Amino acid sequence: MPSALKHALEDLLRARRLQRDAPPLRGEDRRLRPLPTGIAAVDGVLGGGFPRGQSSEVFGPASSGRTGLALALLAETTRAGALAAWVDPSDTLDPAAAAAAGVELRRLLWLRGDTRSRPLPASIAAVGTLVGSGLFDAVVLDLAGVSPGDVGRLPGATWIRLQRMIEETPAALVLIAGAHVAHGPGGVSLSLQPKAPRWSGAPGPGRLLRGLTAEARAGRHALRGVGLELRALGGSSTPEGRR
Amino acid sequence: MFGGLHSPSLPSERALLEIAREFTPRVEARGPTPVLLDLHGLGRVWPAPEALGRAILDSARGRDLVAHLALAFSRTAALLLTQARPGLTIVPAGAEAEALAPLPVALLGLDSDREALFHRWGVRTLGEIARLPATGLAERLGPEGPRLRRMARGEDETPLVPTPPPESFECTLELEWPVDGLEPLSFLLGRVLESLCDGLRDRGRRAAGMALDLRLVDGKLHSRALRPAAPSIEARTWRTLLLLDLETHPPHDAVQALTVRAEPTPSRAVQFSLLDPAQPSPERLAETMARLHAWTATGRAGAPALLDTHRPGAFVLGTFAPGPAIVGASRPAEPRAALRAFRPPLPAHVSLRDGGPAFVAAAGIRGTVLDRAGPWRASGDWWDAAWSREEWDVLLSTAGVYRIFRDLARGEWFVEGELD
Repeated sequence: MPSALKHALEDLLRARRLQRDAPPLRGEDRRLRPLPTGIAAVDGVLGGGFPRGQSSEVFGPASSGRTGLALALLAETTRAGALAAWVDPSDTLDPAAAAAAGVELRRLLWLRGDTRSRPLPASIAAVGTLVGSGLFDAVVLDLAGVSPGDVGRLPGATWIRLQRMIEETPAALVLIAGAHVAHGPGGVSLSLQPKAPRWSGAPGPGRLLRGLTAEARAGRHALRGVGLELRALGGSSTPEGRR
Repeated sequence: MFGGLHSPSLPSERALLEIAREFTPRVEARGPTPVLLDLHGLGRVWPAPEALGRAILDSARGRDLVAHLALAFSRTAALLLTQARPGLTIVPAGAEAEALAPLPVALLGLDSDREALFHRWGVRTLGEIARLPATGLAERLGPEGPRLRRMARGEDETPLVPTPPPESFECTLELEWPVDGLEPLSFLLGRVLESLCDGLRDRGRRAAGMALDLRLVDGKLHSRALRPAAPSIEARTWRTLLLLDLETHPPHDAVQALTVRAEPTPSRAVQFSLLDPAQPSPERLAETMARLHAWTATGRAGAPALLDTHRPGAFVLGTFAPGPAIVGASRPAEPRAALRAFRPPLPAHVSLRDGGPAFVAAAGIRGTVLDRAGPWRASGDWWDAAWSREEWDVLLSTAGVYRIFRDLARGEWFVEGELD
C-alpha cells in the first residue's frame, strides 16, 4: 500500500475513533494518551488517567483502596492488549484479587520479593529494567508493605533516576505506598483517605463486608476529593467469593 | 568435462564430496557414491585431463581413500564408467558410446525383473542395449525403454543438480592475546555474532539457540548454551543475552579463543495488523527476562495463574509469555477492593466476645474490633492435605479492614491479609 494512502487511512481511523480504549496504531505516540483506571470519578480528577512517561503515586493508610485502584489500572491496561508489571517487594499481591478486578493474568508480570532478604534495592533495579524495556505500559511498584524506614534509606537520587528512565518510554510508573514518596514533574500524586466500610446489614451471623469507601484527592493542594467505592472481594468461604 | 568419482569401499557421503569440492563447487552427490563433478573451466590450471585426474586421485589417496575417476564429456558416461573401471579413465569427446559398450547391464541400476528380462533377451552389455531399435524398446518397456537406450549410449537425461554444501553456523575467533573481563569480550562477541547472524539471515534462518565455547588460557573449555523463548536473528540481542549469562556464570580464567554455534530454525513470517495492538518483540521480551535473571532463576517472576480449587491463596507462577491480545475482554461492573495477602498468614491472638472477635493482635497489627462480618466456614482437600477454617472480616480501631481466620484443625487464629 502506498505510504500516502496508508497515512490517509490512519488519519481517518484516528478521526473516527469510537472507543476511548482502542489500541494505539503502529507508530502512534502513545505517550499522549494517559492510562485510565476505568473508574470515572478518579479518571476525572487525574485528567483522563495516569500520565505515561511519568512516575505517579497513590498513597494512603491501610484499607484506603490503593491496591484496588492500582489493579483497576492494570485491568484497563491488559484489557487494551498491553502488558503490565507488578513489582512486589513485600510479596502481598493476591492473584485471585487481580483476576477478580479484571486483570488478564497472562499479560501481568509479577515480581515477588523475597521477604527474607532486603528486596527493595533489587525491586528498584527491576523497575528500571521494566520501564527501560519499553514493553510495559503500566508498572506498579508496591511500597505499601515496605516499612517507611526502608523506603527512607534509599539513595535520594533513586526517584529522579527512575523518572529520567521512564521519560522517553510509553510506560506509566505508579508507586503505591502508605505515605507520600515521590512523583515526577508531570506525574500525579493521588492521596486516599479511607471512609467507613459498607456492610450488608446489621451485625450478626451471615453479614458480609460489601465494600470499602475512600476519598481521593489529586495533588497536595486539591480543594475537594472525589468518592471512591470498591466492592469487597469475597473470601473463599463467602457467597461473594464463590461467585 | 565431467568427472565421476567413485569409491568401492563405501565411504561416508561427506568424504567424496569434500574431495570433489576441493576442485569444483558444482558437485552432485548420488548417494554416498558416486559423485558427479562439473570440471568445466579447469583447463587453465590443468591443461591435460590426465593431470587433473591424477590430482583428484592424489587428493583421495591423501585421505586414505581408494577412488576411481572417469572423465568424460557426458555426465552419464562419467558416472557409469567410474563404477566399472578402476583408476583413471578418460573418454575423448564423441567416444562415450564406444567406451560404455562393454559394460554390464547391471550398471544401469535396473530392478531384478527388468534385469531378468534383458537376460532372457540375451542382452548382457550396454552396447547391446544401445544397438536395439528405440521404437521396439518403447513398445515393450514403455518410456523406460528409450531412456535406458539413451543412457547406454552415454546421452544425458538430466542436468547436474549441485548438492548444497552443509550449513554450518559456527564461527571461531582465535585471539593473539588472551582477554580478561566481559567488556573486551563483548566487542569480540559482537564481531562473531554479526557475521553469524548475517549468514543466518542470508539463508532465511533464525537462531533458536546459541552455544558459546570459550577456550581459556589454562586449556579448559567454558561452555554456555542459551535457548530463549523465541528465536532471534538480532546480533545485538544475542550478545546481550550471552553477556548477561556470562555475568552470572563468568569464566575463571582469561579467554584465548571463542566459538559461537547457532542452532538454525526457519524464519517466522508475521502478518502485522493495522488495528490490533502491536505485540511485544520476542527478542526484547527474552532480553528483558534475561535481565531479570535474579528473579526468574529463583522462580519469583512470571505470570500468575489461578488453580481450580477453593483453597485460599492457590496459584502458580508460570513463564511470562503473553500470547495474542484479546482486546475488549469483559471487566467487572464496578471496581473491586483487593486483598493484600500476608505470606505466610500472621499468627494472631484474638479475644472473643459474643462468639466473635473483639480484639486482634499480630505482628504489626493491633486493635479493637469496631465492626465485623462472619463467620464463614470453609474446608476442603479432605483426601489430601485437609484444611478447615472460619473467616471473619474485621474493622479495627486503626481504621484498617483485615481478613482473619481460625484454623479449625489447629484451633489457632491468623491474619490472612489486609483489604485495600
